[in-house]
Amino acid sequence: MSALVVAVLLPGLAGICLALARAVVSARGAAAAGAAVSVLSLICVVASWSARDGAYAGEVDHPWSTALGLHWHLGVDGISLPLVVMTILLCVLVCWSLAADVTSTTDDHEGAGVVLVALVLVIETASLGVFSALDLVLFFIFFELALIPMWFVIARWGDPGGGRLAATRFLMFTVTGSALMLVGFVVIAVTAGTLQIPTLADLPDPLTGTVPLLGGVAIAVGLAVKTPLWPLHIWLPDAHSKAPTVGSVLLAGVFLKLGTYGLLRVFVSVVPEPAARLAPYLGALAVAGIIASCLACLREHDLKRLIAYSSVGHMGFVVLAISTMSEVGVLAAVFASVAHGLITGLLFFNAGWLKQRYGSATFDALGRGLYTRVPRLAVVLLFAATASLGLPGLAGFWGEMLALRSTYEPSPALDRTLAWTLLTLAALGVVLTTAYFVRVVRRVLQGAATPRDDDIDLTRTEAGISAVLAVAIVLLGVAPGLLTGVIEPAVGAIVQVAP
Amino acid sequence: MTGRVATGLSTAVWIASLVIVLPYLQPDTTSTYAWSDGGGLLDVTLAVHLDALSARLVLLVTTVTVLVQLFSTSYMRGDPRYRSYTALIGLFEVAMLTVVVADDLFVLLVGWEVMGLCSWLLIGHHWELPAARAGAVKAFVMTRFGDLGLLVAIVVTGQAFDTYRISEVLAQLGSGERPPAGIGLLLVLAVVGKSALFPLHTWLADAMPGPTPISALIHAATMVVAGVYLVARLLPLFTPAALTVLALVAALTMVLGALFALVQTDLKRLLAWSTVSQLAYMYAALAASDADAAIDHLLSHGAFKALLFLVAGTIAHATGSTALRDMGALRRSMPLTFATATVGLAALAGVVPTSGFFSKDAVLAAVQGATAGDGPLQPAVAWILLAAGLVTVVLTAAYATRAWLLVFFGVAGQSHQRAAPADPGAAMVGPLVVLGVLTLALSLSAEPHVVVGIVTTVLLLVGAAASGASWRAGRDPAVLAGPARAALERELDIDDRYLWLAGAVRRAGTMVVAGDRDVIDAYPRGVGALARLGSGLLHRTQARNAQSYATVLAIGALAVAVAVIGR
Repeated sequence: MSALVVAVLLPGLAGICLALARAVVSARGAAAAGAAVSVLSLICVVASWSARDGAYAGEVDHPWSTALGLHWHLGVDGISLPLVVMTILLCVLVCWSLAADVTSTTDDHEGAGVVLVALVLVIETASLGVFSALDLVLFFIFFELALIPMWFVIARWGDPGGGRLAATRFLMFTVTGSALMLVGFVVIAVTAGTLQIPTLADLPDPLTGTVPLLGGVAIAVGLAVKTPLWPLHIWLPDAHSKAPTVGSVLLAGVFLKLGTYGLLRVFVSVVPEPAARLAPYLGALAVAGIIASCLACLREHDLKRLIAYSSVGHMGFVVLAISTMSEVGVLAAVFASVAHGLITGLLFFNAGWLKQRYGSATFDALGRGLYTRVPRLAVVLLFAATASLGLPGLAGFWGEMLALRSTYEPSPALDRTLAWTLLTLAALGVVLTTAYFVRVVRRVLQGAATPRDDDIDLTRTEAGISAVLAVAIVLLGVAPGLLTGVIEPAVGAIVQVAP
Repeated sequence: MTGRVATGLSTAVWIASLVIVLPYLQPDTTSTYAWSDGGGLLDVTLAVHLDALSARLVLLVTTVTVLVQLFSTSYMRGDPRYRSYTALIGLFEVAMLTVVVADDLFVLLVGWEVMGLCSWLLIGHHWELPAARAGAVKAFVMTRFGDLGLLVAIVVTGQAFDTYRISEVLAQLGSGERPPAGIGLLLVLAVVGKSALFPLHTWLADAMPGPTPISALIHAATMVVAGVYLVARLLPLFTPAALTVLALVAALTMVLGALFALVQTDLKRLLAWSTVSQLAYMYAALAASDADAAIDHLLSHGAFKALLFLVAGTIAHATGSTALRDMGALRRSMPLTFATATVGLAALAGVVPTSGFFSKDAVLAAVQGATAGDGPLQPAVAWILLAAGLVTVVLTAAYATRAWLLVFFGVAGQSHQRAAPADPGAAMVGPLVVLGVLTLALSLSAEPHVVVGIVTTVLLLVGAAASGASWRAGRDPAVLAGPARAALERELDIDDRYLWLAGAVRRAGTMVVAGDRDVIDAYPRGVGALARLGSGLLHRTQARNAQSYATVLAIGALAVAVAVIGR
């Protein structure tokens, strides 16, 4: 058995064991176990990556159902590895925060805290499965597997008011989307005669014509819901803001990447010709999403909703890069996805800590002058906001810069006039992003302090989590080559590489 | 303690920079180091480049930083946020040095924007004050808008020259490669934002609620002139069209800034508008393709304007105000401040033999040379620029004289915080004296332009005399602006356009929020309603209601019967 299979399945199996043993395990212990298992999983990934030979590290390919042509086919390349590592990192941090969470240990009845850890671990396995699946149906299975536990996380641990509704809406949207995606997969599989992604990506004559186009549309729409692409984003602000902190972090950090990764792996690479025909629409909607979400953020009065909307904008940059269908575009998409996972993960952790202290993340509840009231927490929020607005020297910049660069020199899929128009509008989005984060700093961090009894600065755990993410953000900002060096050799798996 | 450590560190940086860059002050000494080789799709190289141009900038940055750190030990004593203040100055210094020595355009961009970040945070240092918060936001958003020009210019450069290394781009240009027209225009946008030129000029004056040493360092001597350095470095990338735009922007900005400075009632705001006007001089030299004149003026301006801002800080320290009406008669109570300020204002006005005289004349001589029409600039444009430059000489002399008279002569202001304002201690006076000496010493190596020098001296005397005459008549020399004074005090309401724009963006945001709620959100709610309707119908079929089952059965049977009979 490949180390990669262990890496993918281990967290989920551990989660199931924890859930079964919830009567005898403490929530704190479960969270610690979850973190340990995730670290083990990371070690397995690193082991199979360093032992790679061929295009995919740790590749396993066993026929599963010959009637369907379904294979148990997993493997990791430079496109998926960064996302795999980021997912595991975020899951470790989530478990760490759960281990220190006071409410999960004191207010624990019927092992609810343990179940939350178990759900996180199942989500981790499902996400790792998506990032390493090399079979269309297997991709779909993992994609669906991630949804149900997240419904429980949002509905059970989310805001008492509206959490259930937000969870259900999230589920309905994404299930509908993935159902469409499955239809698209079936159409493609029937036309091409295989479900194996590497085979599909290397077809001697790529699929063309109406039927693959319809399949491509179904796949694109399905993934666009998840990404989310404007105007299919409507489930996101509610789900992200009503979810508990761990849910928000995983939704923004990991779940959105299932969509963008899918667009690369099972859309652009599998149906390049239909993708090229759809690229202008994707690009235009992506930019519409950038502008619309930035404008919405300027009027938002709830920190969590604001971060959620900002994700729509950042994902807009990723989809814009994908729609250029160029090498730089693929590099930009993966880089920006990873950077967004780290930065928005930190933002949502931070917003969650504030919400825990003040009961709500609205600006009114937070008050003013956090710089004096909770200085360390405020500086972490300032740092995360700075990273999110794409300051050069931090991780967020390189993704955005590469996305804009790919739009300046797109593949023939994107008309040059259209591309340059999109480039201009997306660049304005950069200014608007600055404007709304600066507004947050001015409204919440600065100003005459309004002290509260709940003004408690960063705890040890919170400081630790912030430090890990901040180091990663600075590292990728100062040495982007660490990440591009991994991604670049695999770009050819997604788009034609110029000789 | 923190202050002493910071001053010590910046002194160490200063000494190191002296040791490293002094050899490069000789002409034709250059070296380029790269620690990594770019390549790949990202193609970013950590590379530095040193020559006479960057060496002089390095010395300016490290020198002014040391003086400002020293000045701050006294000026900011007891500030509760001294640590973050001084750390941000350090970060700023690193960022500015990065810009100056970078050989890779992306490395330069990193420094460029980190400078903007530090500027934003330091303007907002006194964030309890609404004016500081607002000014910080404005400065950051406006300069970020300009920075987009630099970002896109870099992308276009990379596409056109297949490299992001400045030295390689310049080498290709030297061997006859023609630059795409867009790059120069995008770079103009970048410097218009960073140097607060028209039409993005409104942020610099609003940045003045920041601590005065910051105004001296960032908003006079270093960051705002980074654009001048950038253009000087990349001058071969500028096509005639870009230089023409730059010339017209500079011409308008220099006159506008000087006019605004003439009527200001706040010393720091006056100095800010003066900075805007002087920056435009530097760009005028660049538009005339004379990078040396631009950099000479940059250096002399760096010395005398840092001096003037520190003087303003000293006065604010003594009187508790930056408003001109609170000053007056400070000549006797603050003699050292008076002496250094006199040197600074003389250099600003361009009085012989200060460095300002020589560097400003070099700029005007360069522009005058461009009127011959053998450069890239059209003669008509060059004439406009020259006329603007000469008008600005008169205006500058007028407002410098006005400031000098209002601050140091006449009767004492009303609201002196302390009974007797006096010169501060050595930590604050020392930097003033050093900068004053520098202001004079920088002229040692300057070459005079005799004709231009005579013309500007006459114009200068006209401006100063006009100012002095109205002051002797007992009036604020701002009356020289005549009927335009009120409009100029409101800075021509140009800011209202931006406020309108900000309001429009907010209204658009409200519409998007409403659209998300009422239009886009309609489909999940619509689907929800549809589903309830559907489930209602299905529910009927299994409602365990015998009567409805019977009814449905009966209707069904009837329908079947009708269908059969009808056939």
